[in-house]
Amino acid sequence: MRSKTTNRIITAILSYLVVVTALMFFIMPMLWIIYTSFRTQASIFTGKVIPPLSEFTLDNYTTILSVTDYAQYFVNSFRIAASVTVLSLLCSITGAYALSRFDFKGKNALIMGIFSTQMFPQVLMIIPMYLIIFSLSLLDKTIGVVLGQMVLVLPFQIWMLTGYFDNIPADIDESARIDGCGIFQRLLYVILPVGAPGVMVAGFFSFVVSWGDYLIVSIINQSQRTATVTLVIQRLSSALLIRWGQVAAATVLTIVPTIILFSFVQNRLVEGLTAGAVKGE
Amino acid sequence: MLHGDYGKLAGKPTMKERHKGLLLLLPTVLIMALFTVYPLLDGLRVAFTNKHLLKDTVQYVGLSNFIRLATDDVFWLSLYHSLILTVGAVVLQLILGLILASAMKQDLPGMGVFKSIIMASWVIPVAATVIMFKFMAQPDVGLINIVLKGLGFENLNRYWLGDLDVALPFIMLLHLWRNVPFYGVAFLAAMQAVPKSYYEAAEIDGANAWQQFVTITLPGIRSMIIVMVTIHVLWTFNNFDFVWLATGGGPVNATDVLPVYVYRQSWNSYTIGYGASIGSVMLGLLMIYFVVYMRICERREAR
Repeated sequence: MRSKTTNRIITAILSYLVVVTALMFFIMPMLWIIYTSFRTQASIFTGKVIPPLSEFTLDNYTTILSVTDYAQYFVNSFRIAASVTVLSLLCSITGAYALSRFDFKGKNALIMGIFSTQMFPQVLMIIPMYLIIFSLSLLDKTIGVVLGQMVLVLPFQIWMLTGYFDNIPADIDESARIDGCGIFQRLLYVILPVGAPGVMVAGFFSFVVSWGDYLIVSIINQSQRTATVTLVIQRLSSALLIRWGQVAAATVLTIVPTIILFSFVQNRLVEGLTAGAVKGE
Repeated sequence: MLHGDYGKLAGKPTMKERHKGLLLLLPTVLIMALFTVYPLLDGLRVAFTNKHLLKDTVQYVGLSNFIRLATDDVFWLSLYHSLILTVGAVVLQLILGLILASAMKQDLPGMGVFKSIIMASWVIPVAATVIMFKFMAQPDVGLINIVLKGLGFENLNRYWLGDLDVALPFIMLLHLWRNVPFYGVAFLAAMQAVPKSYYEAAEIDGANAWQQFVTITLPGIRSMIIVMVTIHVLWTFNNFDFVWLATGGGPVNATDVLPVYVYRQSWNSYTIGYGASIGSVMLGLLMIYFVVYMRICERREAR
């Protein structure tokens, strides 16, 4: 029989082996694209991993920011993602609160219905969606894309926030109700402060989904002027002659906002995302 | 099913309040109705027409789109790829996620930092992920080929996403890259909720690590596994971005999946009616999966 200490050492070695492999696999591609973004085209094409210092440059970034309209696309993306975040939070906070605290006929069917929309193929819905947005004359407009992207985030957001609110004891808003607080006061002064971490994760989720969306924005915003960063890096990377250094720089600029936001929520992310699943254990 | 019992938690709102409660749901229900339910129903309707993006006349053509489907080789190939990709990605993600979670569960130095950064791959845009891997797959200058050259496998040098046999597994790899950390961290959260005393008792009974994993950990995180698998089967099967951005379905249909085929039929060939019929088949398959899977889970629960 092996002793307990040997067992523990073996476990530690195996765990670190998993961790190191995971780091190489999951983090290295990101580091590699960052590294590439600082190299000249000629340097990248030598196929060397460590080139001489003189082959590093900031030109890729200056070119992307001055020669192309990347800054404009960045603003477009930001405006869309921020709007989706605010609007979807308004809907999902109120909706989840209603689902969590009120009883009414057909509630479970409604929850199931909202969840099952995750099953609907986007590519099937995008045509009628395009026609609706067209008939509202909202093509190539921020609000058109925002409405289209809302349905990407709402079901999951509601599912997650309902689970999160369910974990907040009903006593606290019940006592606020007895004290004469209306629904909106309770939501604003009782539920939101206590549920802030969950709401933050829900907001983060809708921002990154909107920021990363390709399909909807590619259908609704077809003109160059209203393109977003995902469309632009896709176009840059499918050019006939790909300037990999510039593509890398644009890609890094596209990733940075999501990583910055991620650093704010990282520790709460999973707790928030899985609130709906952990509940009821 | 996915949530517990709400009735217990709900206070005792008055009738007046109940109406207000329903009012709170109104914006969500309206948006979902207009931009999800209606598009879906309309999409299903269009599947029975010969709607063409550039033609004004639309006629109902009965089942002819579906009859055409049955003899469309690209449809069957796409379906086959979709199934392989979904089953392969979800099964591998499940296994690798469990391994990752088990490693992260160990209380070791540095684990905290690791846990907090590992989900970064899940938050960045798919378009960016695809570019990172496309660049790494480049012949001569891509990292994969540089490493292979360093190891003496220079003859393997190629554009990996352009290789008929490798392209589809490579797409699967992209799914793994994005999702495995999410699985790992989610399973970890569930594992930490399993009472320690269970393991102590098992230890006294002489159960080894594997036996503890199978008899305590797995049942303990069962509901999390169910949720993760359900969501990811739906998300992977419906995923359009990875294949479209990485290969567009090529080389020569080698990575064609159903969502990409629907898109091409609708927006490149303009045959919207036919595209919609393929989309309807996708929905049908997912509904079958959903119902069967939920039945199995409920039966297990009852036992």
